[in-house]
Amino acid sequence: MGKLWLICIASISILLPFLCNAFSPETPTDRRVLVLLDDFAIMSSHSLYFNALKSRGFDLEFKLADDPKIALQRYGQYLYDALILFCPSVERFGGSIDVAAIVNFVDSGHDLIVAADVNASDLIREVGTECGVDFDEDPSAMVIDHIGYAVSGTEGDHTLIASDDFIKSDVILGGKKIEAPILFRGIGHAVSPANSLVLKVLSASPSAYSANPKSKLSTPPPLTGSAISLVSIVQARNNARLLITGSLSMFSNRFFRSGVQKAGSQTKHEKSGNEQFLTEISKWIFHERGHLKAVNVKHHRVGETDEPALYRINDELEYAVEIYEWSGTSWEPYVANDVQLQFYMMSPYVLKTLSSDKKGLYSTSFKVPDVYGVFQFKVEHQKLGYTSLSLSKQIPVRPYRHNEYERFIPAAYPYYGAAFSMMAGFFIFSFAHLYSK
Amino acid sequence: MARRLAGFLVLLLVVSICEAAFLFQPISDSHRSTALELFTPDHGSFKSLEETYEALRTFQILGIEKKPDLTATACRSISETVGSSSSTAKDLFYALKANSIAECKIDKKASKGIISRLKAAVSGASSLLDFYYSVGGLVLIKDQSSEADVHLADAEGVFRSVKAFSQSDGRWRYSSNNPESSAFAAGIALETHAGIVSLASSEIDQSLISTLKNDIIKLFDSIEKYDDGALYFDDKLVDGHEYQGPVSTTSSVLRGLTAFAAVTAENLNLPGDKILGLAKFFLGIGVPGDAKDFFNQIDSLACLESNRVSIPLILSFPSTVLSLTRKDSLKVGVSTVLGSEVPSLTVKLVGAFSSGSKDASLVESQELNFDKTSGLHILNDLPKSIDVGSYTFVFEIVLHEPKHEEVYFKGSQTKVPISVTGLIKIENSEIAVLDSDLGSIESQKKLDLAGKNAISLSANHLQMLRLSFQLTTPRGRSFKPHQAFLKLRHESKVEHIFVVGNSGKQFEIVLNFLGLVEKFFYLSGKYDMELTVGDAAMENSLLVAIGHIELDLPEAPEKAPRPPPQPVDPYSRYGPKAEITHIFRAPEKRPPQELSLAFLGLTILPLLGFLIGLLRLGVNLKNFPTKPLPATFAVLFHVGIGAVLLLCVFFWVKLDLFQTLKILGFLGGILVFVGHRILSHLAAASAKLKSA
Repeated sequence: MGKLWLICIASISILLPFLCNAFSPETPTDRRVLVLLDDFAIMSSHSLYFNALKSRGFDLEFKLADDPKIALQRYGQYLYDALILFCPSVERFGGSIDVAAIVNFVDSGHDLIVAADVNASDLIREVGTECGVDFDEDPSAMVIDHIGYAVSGTEGDHTLIASDDFIKSDVILGGKKIEAPILFRGIGHAVSPANSLVLKVLSASPSAYSANPKSKLSTPPPLTGSAISLVSIVQARNNARLLITGSLSMFSNRFFRSGVQKAGSQTKHEKSGNEQFLTEISKWIFHERGHLKAVNVKHHRVGETDEPALYRINDELEYAVEIYEWSGTSWEPYVANDVQLQFYMMSPYVLKTLSSDKKGLYSTSFKVPDVYGVFQFKVEHQKLGYTSLSLSKQIPVRPYRHNEYERFIPAAYPYYGAAFSMMAGFFIFSFAHLYSK
Repeated sequence: MARRLAGFLVLLLVVSICEAAFLFQPISDSHRSTALELFTPDHGSFKSLEETYEALRTFQILGIEKKPDLTATACRSISETVGSSSSTAKDLFYALKANSIAECKIDKKASKGIISRLKAAVSGASSLLDFYYSVGGLVLIKDQSSEADVHLADAEGVFRSVKAFSQSDGRWRYSSNNPESSAFAAGIALETHAGIVSLASSEIDQSLISTLKNDIIKLFDSIEKYDDGALYFDDKLVDGHEYQGPVSTTSSVLRGLTAFAAVTAENLNLPGDKILGLAKFFLGIGVPGDAKDFFNQIDSLACLESNRVSIPLILSFPSTVLSLTRKDSLKVGVSTVLGSEVPSLTVKLVGAFSSGSKDASLVESQELNFDKTSGLHILNDLPKSIDVGSYTFVFEIVLHEPKHEEVYFKGSQTKVPISVTGLIKIENSEIAVLDSDLGSIESQKKLDLAGKNAISLSANHLQMLRLSFQLTTPRGRSFKPHQAFLKLRHESKVEHIFVVGNSGKQFEIVLNFLGLVEKFFYLSGKYDMELTVGDAAMENSLLVAIGHIELDLPEAPEKAPRPPPQPVDPYSRYGPKAEITHIFRAPEKRPPQELSLAFLGLTILPLLGFLIGLLRLGVNLKNFPTKPLPATFAVLFHVGIGAVLLLCVFFWVKLDLFQTLKILGFLGGILVFVGHRILSHLAAASAKLKSA
């Protein structure tokens, strides 16, 4: 028995570094998720969401947020690939987790889902700020919308919002259109205009505002209209993906199952769009969509197959790269028509859209410019919702060698003719001069 | 504890967010559909008999028709467990429990064997759970077949040994060597005690039962409470190993209590509001997404509905948002927790209070009419004193027959949040530009806030903008909406929001541009105006574009604040860039080839002239040496010159400089040697000639 344990521990310690890394193209499976809760009752009340994740192969580990034993890493290795914070009221995390630990977790490429709620603690707000969004500072403020609310027989304060202002991106929200509006109740947040990494996925309608529904307004609310973001995502530069929302209840079974009718609209949807929306977006967050990898970068002269060490000016060359997208189970060919190649030295000399064979292979051919120096092949593919691809390969370009210039220029024939007739004359003159009497 | 409480409140917020009054809905069809989703067997059977029992019991309570295959597979695993001699008391217990619903046929012989095994287990039991399973199993056999002899000979002794696990605070321990006491165990112990009492062959000592009753009362002292009046039991989380969560714990206590109340003739003297609080707790958790919680909720509610203490009555409301404009009537349903029928009763509206204020009731006490077809109690017209807004209505249930008072518990008064909405009339809306010093009106326009407007105004920084309107409720009173914003948006998307204030009936906002110049960042130009008026009670909340105003503001001084950066459209940030193709240097311009060839011909002409000149001069080769050796040198010398000249031609055609120089060096050496010989020969010949 003891021996078995030893083997177990040894094999785990060997496997650990491989099991618990961030999403990487080499090991895209093995996804362990830590879920921090305020209360274990959330496991039951939000079970549809968790079950959807479990059915896609995620290994969820539920812990109370103030459990003194929780930790994100041990011996310098992260124990999880992603973190879900469903603990809006936690004042202090247990164990070794704090805001800095969460930021480091994300900085090392791991994914994060944060759900705040009304009366969200300062800690959760701070996590939001670190992620690049600012929740409304008023602790009792909620998003109110007197025009875009969800019709309900029992809730009359218009804080239950039916929102359908989605980001237009198939990669984030899936190819299937979300027909039913999303039910939302919670706090709004603003994204900083200077931060280009944060995207509003679900925005409030122009008539929404964020305020305490029970007190009278005397000053304009800090957040109004479509500037309020209900759900935001962040794709960090290291491709870590984050989801931030001000509503925990939008993940609940109740909202998943509830029907929805937007005020002023006659269509009554049997089921709210929450389940579709949040499931699709979780696919994006957990890299099941929109994660690209580029392999087999090749370039050579037209008509050759080997990659040269350098090119000569005015050479015709061919460039090819294969790009694949992770689908959750396998790498599928990435189909797009806007992958561009730059031939770059200080600034792009050539910028060309690569043509695709729809099986993942992108290729093009062009003529090397007549400028010599050290160039780069650059593919900088940045598309809304996709991980950014940045390939660069250095390649020198040389001028013509002395014997590569044109040799028989017709315009120079008179000069050559003159020289050669001079030489012929000299040859004849040598006879005449030496032997004539 | 505070953390767990807070967490549960989050859940309850999902149910209702009102402060003082909470709504509880009885079990409905959404529970039924969820039950079918949650209790789906994998490949036709459940993982364990415990799960099978939970599924069967839930379907039974909710009145869902059992699928025949579910019963068939359940029966198969029940008879397997019962027939096997290796199955434990726990397996037998759940098999018998499932059988109490599935009603399969069990072999007589097998059941005899079980009885003796269970009896042996009772006498050999050392922990609470051992007692629970073995006693529970015997009780189930007793319930299923009357002829079996399941009586415990030493019931009192067993009773005492179970009682020995009890603690002074009314909780129980699982075993004698486990110091942790829990309310969950208390529930199990109560159920076991009830089983022992029913199995006892002789009457159990009354003093034992009364000590148990004291334990129950002590246990209820440790009950915990939510703000909404829901009561529940919970255990301290020690290491999470045996921790069950509040739903399981409360459910266990409730099951034990119901079982115990069923076997003792005496009254337990539990206050009805405690029972109502427990009912509220189970209704307040909504529809659980976990099969175990779901079973516990449904089973506990069934216990509450059939208990002998008191049956709580729940008020339910199809709608608590009533429209004055549509003349909605207030409807109230009364049912038990599982939504079943109740005896005849009257619902009374005792009072209505405007939420937030502590004023006297706005309405007089009145009874609601009972509508037999829908089974609802209806108040057709809202009292005149009720205007739009949110209220707390207080209801009371009056049972018609006094004997029901003992069976049912109706609660003293139920507070319910009611929102009353209506169409708000908007009048006298106008917008004007005023001169700031005189207050004289420059230009004034009427607005139609319900329709489209395209007002165009212009003003400079010395003028003011005034917007005013009036709002009236359907009852003719003035209305103050929560949201009344005027938004000005500059062409550069910089937005400014102002709250429209009110003085009495009139809503008015005056923008003095002189004071706002800095706030507007000195940005002149077109500002779009947008008015938003909205309130929870206002059915016609509006967001209208009024038009635009052309502002002429002074030039910004140097230190003026810059407008904040505006968000960039995410769609434009990405996307393909324009293609770049390199522009190659144009090749040099060359003369046409014919011209070059013509000039090539011209360059031959001097050579021809030279040859003609030589012929005219009469050049001859008479001086060519005649002796063989000098003649050879002469030939070699000229061949050498010819070769060097030819090398020049080859240099042009194909050779490079290095190859040429190599050959030239070789040719040059020969040429110097033979050149020296022939030239010295010629010089000697001419010297001889001169001297001769």
